[in-house]
Amino acid sequence: MADKNLPTDGRFTRLFDHFKREWQIYAMLLPTIVWFIVFLYKPMYGLQIAFKDYSIFRGVAGSPWIGIEHFQTLFGNDQFLRAVSNTIKISALNLLFGFPAPIILALMFNEILHATYKRTAQTIVYLPHFISSVIIAGIVITAFSPTLGIVNIILGWFGLDSIYFLTQPQWFRPIFVGTGIWQEAGFGSIVFLAAIAGVNPSLYESAVVDGANRWQMMWKITIPSILPTILIMLIIRIGNVMEVSFELVILLYQPATYETADVVNTWIYRQGLQSGQYDLAAAGGLFNAVVAFVLVMTANTLSRRFSRTSLW
Amino acid sequence: MSGVNLSGIVKSYGAVQVVHGIDLDVAEKEFVVLVGPSGCGKSTTLRMIAGLEEITAGDLTIDDKRMNRIAPKDRDVAMVFQNYALYPHLNVADNMAFGLRIRKMPKAEIQTTIADVAEILGLTDYLERRPADLSGGQRQRVAMGRAIVRHPKVFLFDEPLSNLDAKLRTQMRAEIKRLHNRLGVTSVYVTHDQVEAMTLADRIVVMNDGRIEQIGTPMELFNDPANIFVAGFLGSPPMNMVNGVLTKNSAKIGATEVKLNGALANHVGREVVVGIRPEHVTLKASAKTSPLPITMDLVEPLGSEALLHARFGKQEMVFKAETKGDIAPLWNVDKVHVTTDLVKLFDAQTGQALNLRG
Repeated sequence: MADKNLPTDGRFTRLFDHFKREWQIYAMLLPTIVWFIVFLYKPMYGLQIAFKDYSIFRGVAGSPWIGIEHFQTLFGNDQFLRAVSNTIKISALNLLFGFPAPIILALMFNEILHATYKRTAQTIVYLPHFISSVIIAGIVITAFSPTLGIVNIILGWFGLDSIYFLTQPQWFRPIFVGTGIWQEAGFGSIVFLAAIAGVNPSLYESAVVDGANRWQMMWKITIPSILPTILIMLIIRIGNVMEVSFELVILLYQPATYETADVVNTWIYRQGLQSGQYDLAAAGGLFNAVVAFVLVMTANTLSRRFSRTSLW
Repeated sequence: MSGVNLSGIVKSYGAVQVVHGIDLDVAEKEFVVLVGPSGCGKSTTLRMIAGLEEITAGDLTIDDKRMNRIAPKDRDVAMVFQNYALYPHLNVADNMAFGLRIRKMPKAEIQTTIADVAEILGLTDYLERRPADLSGGQRQRVAMGRAIVRHPKVFLFDEPLSNLDAKLRTQMRAEIKRLHNRLGVTSVYVTHDQVEAMTLADRIVVMNDGRIEQIGTPMELFNDPANIFVAGFLGSPPMNMVNGVLTKNSAKIGATEVKLNGALANHVGREVVVGIRPEHVTLKASAKTSPLPITMDLVEPLGSEALLHARFGKQEMVFKAETKGDIAPLWNVDKVHVTTDLVKLFDAQTGQALNLRG
């Protein structure tokens, strides 16, 4: 029943009618909205400690404002700057090798005609995604172990000396990026496979009649057809550039490899939780978020301008 | 000879046979339309000609060469698809050039060919546009353009007009016919629309349940349908069918006798299906007609003529009558006069046409 006291504004009435009619849909949306508010928006209140001399005893509101002092500390801190540099380098490698991997995998799956073989191969590459990062790290540590690791055993077959990969800074990034690809490329290919499944089959039939082979069809039909999906995924990926897989870094790095392995998130973890400098850590986190925001906005604008595809 | 020959063509999916041995000769420059209801095997047959479906048994020859194992690209056919199959990321010119580039035609030659065909199809102003920026009719023209630029031996059309609205369909139908007259390329065209079939075809192939029911020119099929299926499929509204029994000089349907000419003496008592086309009746009696009492249900005015929906006994029938500017008198019609020469007879058991009148 519409309230008689409601203003007779047509727009408001329409909105009210809309909610009344579609309330079930909004009811289903509610848990997600609550989740966002509780876990993402409410914590934003605490971001102010990045500009305060925070004390857990005085609380967020009671701590005194100190302006941008923490940011000055951050940018004068060699370890933080190293973490920023490492984050960018690892993300760049991830983007360069990790982003195309699921696309290539999806294109390859698309070319497999034998249904059983295709399903089996897909299951095998999806599996690592469902394994806990702790176990993944365990497998990697074992595989690269200097004594029992399969990698060093193989090196031994060729008469090469064992390498303690995980203690040498120069090996961390290749191992980390490679592990990420192994763990996520298969699962990541699902979205591209779905995009490929959406390509009109008569485009391929038309191309077959025109004389195109499978390679030409892949380059001239499949890839251009899934390009909007690729761009959307790229924008999302760019938005997460500063969010290098924190768990896996924590599990794989050690002080000996901090030089190449320590990223912003692990630095924040050490400062915030291990050293109790919550305000400085919050400043680091805010810096991360601002960079990610700028990147995703830029990528979205460029994508919209050049390819008519964008997230919003 | 760029003809197409199908001999005993069979298509099976596993144990299920969907096309049961088709024999068809399409002459050079001929425009043949495969028509039939959904699932009758017409598109499958076309796709077998294109090479998009494997032929289970039988022989397909194009230009006197056996094509069963030849790849689609080497059959020298071009196909126009129902949903146009235009590449959404390419503009009109690139869509039309796709097949030519694949075949490594020199760039200059591609440009000339595209310009020529665009001119023919009225697409010159749209060459830079993408399919999403075109109307349905323009997209259809691009799809045809892509086929034409290849200069193939055979054009294959798979229900190319079914996504267009009625007005555009009529317009494009005429364009296809004009194009065929101009280019003279052997064409096989699939449709479920009998009007398209009648207007476009040099010959129509009526298919049903994976078999050919009849092959002939549009007027042959219309005037002399081989069986009840063809008689009911071609013509709009379809032919009225009513069960009857032959007497010495008539077909008795219920209590009514429809006079028939010809020697029926040897067939007295034979059960038949009497076919009366809606337009083969008049409202005035003459020496060449036989009356049929009806009860009028509905009069649908179409302008110069009207559709009379009437009941003959319990059977619903549709007839056509001239309106002469006023449909009110048509509501009072209580009998139509069947032109006896044009009545069709079919065997009640087999459904095959009977020619008993010499």
